[in-house]
Amino acid sequence: MSERRLAAYLVSPSLIVIALVAAYPIGYAIWLSLNQYSVIHPGLSRWVGLDNYKDALTSHDFWSAFKTTFIFTIISVTLELVLGLIMALLMHSAFRGRGVLRAVVLVPWAILTVGTAMMWKTIFDADLGFANQLLKALHLPGSHTVWLGQNGYALAVMIFADVWKTAPFMALLLLAGLQVIPDDVYEAAKVDGATAWQRFWSITMPLLKPAILVALIFRTLDALRIFDLPFVLTQGANGTTSLSLYAYQQLTQNRLIGPGSALAVLTFVIVMTVSFLYIRLVGGNIRGLAEET
Amino acid sequence: MSTAEVTQERVASRARVREKAGRRPGRGGQILVWVGVLLTIVFCLFPFYWIINTSLKTGSELSTGHVFPHHPSVDNYTSIFKNADFTTALKTSAIVAGSSTIIALTIGSFAAYALARLRFKFKFLILAIILSTTTFPPIAIAAPLFKLWTDIGFYNTYQGLILPFLTFVLPLTIYILTSFFQEIPKDLEEAALVDGATRFQAFRKIVIPLAAPGMVTAGLLAFIFAWNEFLLSITLTSSAHRRPVSAAIAFFTGSQQFQIPLGTIAAATVTITVPLIVLVIIFQKRIVAGLTAGAVKG
Amino acid sequence: MNRKLASAGAILACAAIAAGCGSSGGGGTSGSTVAGVGSNAKTVTPGMAQNAKGSVTWCIGKDTTGAFSQVVKLYNQQNPNVHAKLLELPTSADAQRTQLIQREQAKSPECDVLGMDTIWTAEFAAQGWLRDVTPAINARKSEFIPSTLGTTQINGKYWAVPFNTNAGFLYYNTSKVKQPPTTWQQAYQMAKTDGGLGYQGARYEGLTVDFLELLYSNGGSVLSSDGKKATIDSPQAQQVLSFMQQGVKSGAVPKSASTWMEEESRNAFQSGKVSLLRNWPYVYALAKQAHVKFNLEPLPKFGNGQAASILGGYNLGISTYSKNPGGALSFVNYATGPAAQKKFFIKSSLPAVLTQTYSDPAVKKSQPFAPQLLTAVQQGKPRPVSPVYTQISEAIDKNVYSALWSGTSPQTALKNAQSQINKALQTF
Repeated sequence: MSERRLAAYLVSPSLIVIALVAAYPIGYAIWLSLNQYSVIHPGLSRWVGLDNYKDALTSHDFWSAFKTTFIFTIISVTLELVLGLIMALLMHSAFRGRGVLRAVVLVPWAILTVGTAMMWKTIFDADLGFANQLLKALHLPGSHTVWLGQNGYALAVMIFADVWKTAPFMALLLLAGLQVIPDDVYEAAKVDGATAWQRFWSITMPLLKPAILVALIFRTLDALRIFDLPFVLTQGANGTTSLSLYAYQQLTQNRLIGPGSALAVLTFVIVMTVSFLYIRLVGGNIRGLAEET
Repeated sequence: MSTAEVTQERVASRARVREKAGRRPGRGGQILVWVGVLLTIVFCLFPFYWIINTSLKTGSELSTGHVFPHHPSVDNYTSIFKNADFTTALKTSAIVAGSSTIIALTIGSFAAYALARLRFKFKFLILAIILSTTTFPPIAIAAPLFKLWTDIGFYNTYQGLILPFLTFVLPLTIYILTSFFQEIPKDLEEAALVDGATRFQAFRKIVIPLAAPGMVTAGLLAFIFAWNEFLLSITLTSSAHRRPVSAAIAFFTGSQQFQIPLGTIAAATVTITVPLIVLVIIFQKRIVAGLTAGAVKG
Repeated sequence: MNRKLASAGAILACAAIAAGCGSSGGGGTSGSTVAGVGSNAKTVTPGMAQNAKGSVTWCIGKDTTGAFSQVVKLYNQQNPNVHAKLLELPTSADAQRTQLIQREQAKSPECDVLGMDTIWTAEFAAQGWLRDVTPAINARKSEFIPSTLGTTQINGKYWAVPFNTNAGFLYYNTSKVKQPPTTWQQAYQMAKTDGGLGYQGARYEGLTVDFLELLYSNGGSVLSSDGKKATIDSPQAQQVLSFMQQGVKSGAVPKSASTWMEEESRNAFQSGKVSLLRNWPYVYALAKQAHVKFNLEPLPKFGNGQAASILGGYNLGISTYSKNPGGALSFVNYATGPAAQKKFFIKSSLPAVLTQTYSDPAVKKSQPFAPQLLTAVQQGKPRPVSPVYTQISEAIDKNVYSALWSGTSPQTALKNAQSQINKALQTF
């Protein structure tokens, strides 16, 4: 049979599943967001058009969640990139125990997120947590900080927990990128008298760019959707409410299906916009993938 | 050498390139590197050690910050395995994560092959759609699914979780498998086709075996993702016998009175993580290859 | 369109009456009125419990003292035809509510008997998740403390059976605090010198309760008497909020209290981190077991106001989707009967809802403060009774929290709370 026909048969099951479990729910979510469902009278609903969106976009809470999510994303992704790069360079230079290192570095990524979140919560407990005890033992200031009970500090803990979990993941992505750079390029530069720093900036970084971009895309989109950490650590208190958590709370705690769905759709739009911008930036990669036949 | 062996050689040599060691710095640099490596190891492993530490503590010792348990005991472990809710949650997670992984691998490999090998229109569009699905925020489908599942009776069921998990797991496997399929040189299939095999036979007899490592990787990554999933797990289930492990841990009431069940939560986390870590250690090379698929392609 | 407007108007009017009746307190059994509630509800009559059999699942929050399991066991022994099971929900009330709602929204028959905080009863009834238990209550109405019935009554019908009630107390460590304070001002003064005062300062319902106790004592209110608008932005409220904020700034209240719910504040008191504690009666038995030297007193007044207590506690409702309402009623009658109520009171310090329990000698011996508790309960004021109470409470706890721990000015906090509550009252 023709390639086109075979391709159709092979790809359609996946497309059908995706249409069913991704496209349809989003469509339904949009429908839900255009209505309001009575909290007091079960089964009663009325059409409100874009009112839920107007309310969301003029609400202080929404913009606060928006700000928190973006601040969290920018800071944690930057830290993960820098830390990941340092770790990747280290692993690249170390000659022995590569395999062990790689396994060690994958541990944070493999542990159940919810479990580690609970552990961070106890480590940063104000009275008995390990963090404060360590500070006290080292005679450093801040050993009485109520980490999860203060604005700013709570977000810092959340960022720290996220960086811990994913900087190693970034390191692996970047390490793979480092390993494909051929040695002769460096040798030639050394012969020409370039310093290590110059070699890093003019050779390593440019050649690492594709790996960095891919790592950035995945991490940014993951960070924008953060839910597990604020849910477990603080339930959103003290300036840690993310977009996803805010929508979830409106939906389940206040049972405001209309407004909650509008928030969920807005979150979706924001994440997809960022994703779209990125894909344009890295479009070359995907086209390459698509055209490599 | 037969064409098969040639191919194996080629695939293996490409893999070896990735394993090339970096340049070695001078003496002082070496020490710095090893200090850095040590710090990295401590950074990565310390919280995991802490969880194990906590899981061996009981009673009032849980509210202290002792770095070593003064009276280590395995009580927490025995109590979680006696807790029917926990063992049921393990079973549920295994079923749900396993099923979505298997389904994703099956239909995903078909789609990946088509995308990697066949020529057809809209390829870029389809790939873009599939990729963008990996970036959906789960909250966007949680609300409509809750309402929908309640109406058609899928709420609090296995299929009620397997289906939405596919939303994320299927595109992920397609993406990884597409890259892996592209690595496999085409001459082998061409040769088979010339010898009279159909596309599908070529797919089954040649591509799949060579892509086996890729399938393992994609399967492992998909399984880990499904195992970790939290938002949909807490929204679409309500009772202990259908709740996956991630949701169960978050709602542990524990079997101890008075205490926030830190010890049992830690024991549960360790229990769930250790098999994953073992898998990760065994397959670490493949996992890294899978995660970096496409990253190095530039 | 006109019908919708008319019914909307009716809803608002009824909610008004509802809130008005609810917040007048003073031991009335008026309950509240909400339109649409009860039109299609299934009724549970006493007869259904007579020949009950099968299994019954009781869904309620964590059993911290073992009393729940014991009562279930005793019930099973005495009722061989019905098998009762305990299903524990998480410790936090918010998590319990979410889990019950998820089941009820999915029409799940898993929970026959729902352990609901009194503040959810109106919401659950309005959603049609509870069976009408008026005949069952009427058969034993005189046993209950009248004010407790008020939390289960809407539109003249009863939608749940009171299970336990509650009123806050001030615990004090007798080795540090020699004379119990008579006003909150005095209590905070003592806290500065004698070791700190603790309460439920986390951002949740518990903070709303603690705040309202001071607010009501100072003569403030949350809703107007017709329930149509918020009245929380008042000089009395500003006075109370500034006072509480000052208490944090001066160090009388430790900063870690910003993460405390009931259990954390109890632990802080028992470990000596604070010498004064506002908490529910359940702490009594546990602190005794931990050999803490303490005593307790009814809540102090705020300045010259009248001491106020907020009526807390839990009710037991029978789910509309239960497959065994007869068995459920049989269990509910046992759990709210004299024997079980006495056990809960003595073992878990869960105040009984039956008047007779308070005069039982064994109860008086183990809970020496029983007479004061009975008075406090009889005079207790409920929180605003409304199907959108959750949103009202969130408006309060969010803004009080930000004033206490993030330095927001009381004026701003109360203004925000007022507008958010007004918005909540518009909820369709």
